[in-house]
Amino acid sequence: MLPGLCLPEGERVCTRPLEAGPVLSLLSPPDLNAKRKKKVAHIYEALNSDPADVDALRRLAIDEGGLLTDEIRQEVWPKLLNVNTSDLPLLSGRSLRQISKDYQQVLLDVRRSLRRFPPGMPDEQREGLQEELIDVILLILQQNPQLHYYQGYHDIVVTFLLVVGERLATPLVEKLSTHHLRDFMEPTMDNTKHILNYLMPIIDQVNPELHDFMQSAEVGTIFALSWLITWFGHVLSDFRHVVRLYDFFLACHPLMPIYFAAVIVLHREQEVLDCDCDMASVHHLLSQIPQDLPYETLISRAGDLFVQFPPSRLAREVAAQQQAERTAASTFKDFELVSAQQRPDMVLRRRFQGLLRPEEPAKDVLTKPRTNRFVKLAVMGLTVALGAAALAVVKSALEWAPKFQLQLFP
Amino acid sequence: MLTCAPGSLVPTQMSSPPPRSPPVTTGMPFSSLARAEDENFDFLFKVILVGDSNVGKTCVVQHFQSGIFRDTQHNTVGVDFTVRSLHIDGKRVKMQVWDTAGQERFRTITQSYYRSAHAAIIAYDLTRRSTFESIPHWIQEVERYGAANLVVMLIGNKADLWQQRRVLFEDACTLAEKHGLLAVLETSAKESRNVDEVFVLMAKELMARNSLALGSEGALGSLALDSSPVLVGQGPRAKAPCHC
Repeated sequence: MLPGLCLPEGERVCTRPLEAGPVLSLLSPPDLNAKRKKKVAHIYEALNSDPADVDALRRLAIDEGGLLTDEIRQEVWPKLLNVNTSDLPLLSGRSLRQISKDYQQVLLDVRRSLRRFPPGMPDEQREGLQEELIDVILLILQQNPQLHYYQGYHDIVVTFLLVVGERLATPLVEKLSTHHLRDFMEPTMDNTKHILNYLMPIIDQVNPELHDFMQSAEVGTIFALSWLITWFGHVLSDFRHVVRLYDFFLACHPLMPIYFAAVIVLHREQEVLDCDCDMASVHHLLSQIPQDLPYETLISRAGDLFVQFPPSRLAREVAAQQQAERTAASTFKDFELVSAQQRPDMVLRRRFQGLLRPEEPAKDVLTKPRTNRFVKLAVMGLTVALGAAALAVVKSALEWAPKFQLQLFP
Repeated sequence: MLTCAPGSLVPTQMSSPPPRSPPVTTGMPFSSLARAEDENFDFLFKVILVGDSNVGKTCVVQHFQSGIFRDTQHNTVGVDFTVRSLHIDGKRVKMQVWDTAGQERFRTITQSYYRSAHAAIIAYDLTRRSTFESIPHWIQEVERYGAANLVVMLIGNKADLWQQRRVLFEDACTLAEKHGLLAVLETSAKESRNVDEVFVLMAKELMARNSLALGSEGALGSLALDSSPVLVGQGPRAKAPCHC
C-alpha cells in the first residue's frame, strides 16, 4: 500500500492543504463577508488581549461558523486547550518505532487512513504526513503510559496534524488525550461504553417516542461509537465539517460529542421511525451518517440540550441503564454549574448572544418538562439558545471536566 | 484422517502470478438494503465476521456486497453490517454480515453481537502469521459468547499475495479440524476469489441445518452434515469442497 512511506528527515511539507472555506452559508455573500470580517476581528481582539480572553474564544468557537480558518485555529486551539506555545519542546517520535508496543497497530491504521487526507494532495506529501502522524501518536503514547491507543485515535490526531502541523499537534493532542479523550484511552472500553449510555437518556428527554422506538428495536448505541471516539472525524468526508465540529468540541465539556450524536439521531427522527423496527435496520440507517447535515443548527441544539439536560441530570437514567448507583455529588456540581450561569454578568452576555439568534426555537427540547429547579434554571438559559451553551461549557471543559469525570467514572 | 486440497500449500498452486490490477469491479448483482426487496426472503442468516486487525474483513464483506474491492478501505471502528440476498436452490436467502473492528480492545463491544448470530466467519491474513496464531482466541471468543450451535468457518484472506504466504493451508485445515469448524477457504477480495463461495457455502450449510431442525427433508446433498470440516482449497479445485 505504502511501500515508500519514509520521507527524509526534516523535509517539512505543508500541513495546511485545506483552507476552510466560507461556512456561513446561510447568509448571502455581502452579509456573509461583513459578518465574517466582524467575527475575525472579534477573534483577534480576544486573542490579543492580555491575557487572552479564553471565555470569548470559547464562545466564538461555538458560535455560528466556528473559528472560520485554519490560520485562526492554529492560534485559538492552543488557547482552548490551555497549551503554552511559546517554548515547544523539540521531540520526535521517530526513534520510538522499535520499542513501541503500539507501533504495529498504529502503522496498520495510519496506512489505511488515506481518505482522511485531501483528495488532491500529492502522494509524496501525504506519505510524509502519514509518517508524522505515526510519530506524533507514538510520542504521546510513550510520554503517557497510562494512555492506551485505540483504533480511531489516529482520526483525531490527523485532524490536528492537518490543521496545526506536527510540532504543535503533539502538545495539543497530548492535552486532549489526558482530558477529553481520557476515557476512551483507558485499558478497557468500559468508560467509553458508559459515555455511550448517555445517548438514549438524552433522546428520551426530547423525544420519548423516538426513544421508545429505538429501545424496542434494541438498536443499542454502538452505531455512535465511531462518532464519539473520533469526534466524527472517521465518518465525515468533508474536512471543513470535521474542523468546525472540533472548534465546537474543543470549546465544550468532554461529553458534548454525545449530545451532538443525540442531536443527529433526533434530527433524523422521521427516517428512524419509518425504518423497520429491528436492530439491524436501525443500526444501519443511523451508522450511515448523512453528509449534508445542517451543522450550525445541530451545534446550537446540542448546546441547548447540554444546558437543559446537563450530564448529572441524566446520571440517574444512565445509572439505571447500567445498574450502577451514582452519588449526589455530581448532581451538586451541576447545580453549581447551572447556578453560575445565572450571575448577572453572565446573563447579560447571554442576552447579547440571544439577540443574535432570536429565531432559534427552543420548544422542541421542552417536550418533557419536569418541575425541579434544575429545569427551571435551564429553561431560563434556553431563551438564549447558543449563548447559554457557550457559558455552560466555559467553566467545564478544562477545569470542571477532570473532577467531574472522576466522580462519574470512579 | 484429514485430507486437504492437494497442492494448496505451495505458491505454484496459483496458476499464474496475479496481475497488478486496478480495483476489480465485476458485474455482480448489487443488493443494498433495498427494503421493499428485503421483505421477501425465505431465510435470514446473521453472520458475524471477526479476526485480527487489517486481515481484510471489511474488504471481504464489501466485495461480497458490491463486487468492488477498495484499496483505500479504512479501519472499522465498532461494528458495521451489510446485507445481500442470494438465490440458492430456488430460495431467497438474506445474508446479514456483521463486520467488526479487529483491535483487541473492541472485543467487549463486539461480544454482544455474537448472541444473535447464526454463524461466525473468522478471518486471518495468510501473509501474517500472527493473525493466524490468534485464531484459537477468536474461536474461544465465539464459543464463549455465541449460541451453542453457531456455525464457524475460517478464511485465509489476501490469497493474491501468495508470494508472501506465511500460513500453510494445511495448518489452517488442521486447526479447523481440531476445533470442528465447518470449512476453511483461502480468499482474495482483491481478485474476487472465493468470496462469494464463502457466503454461499455458509448459506447452504445454514439452510440445511435449519431444514433439519424443522424436521423437513431439506438437507442438501452436496454438503455433509456431520461435524467434520469441509475443506476448500485455493485454485482450480476450490469450487469442489472435499469432504473429510
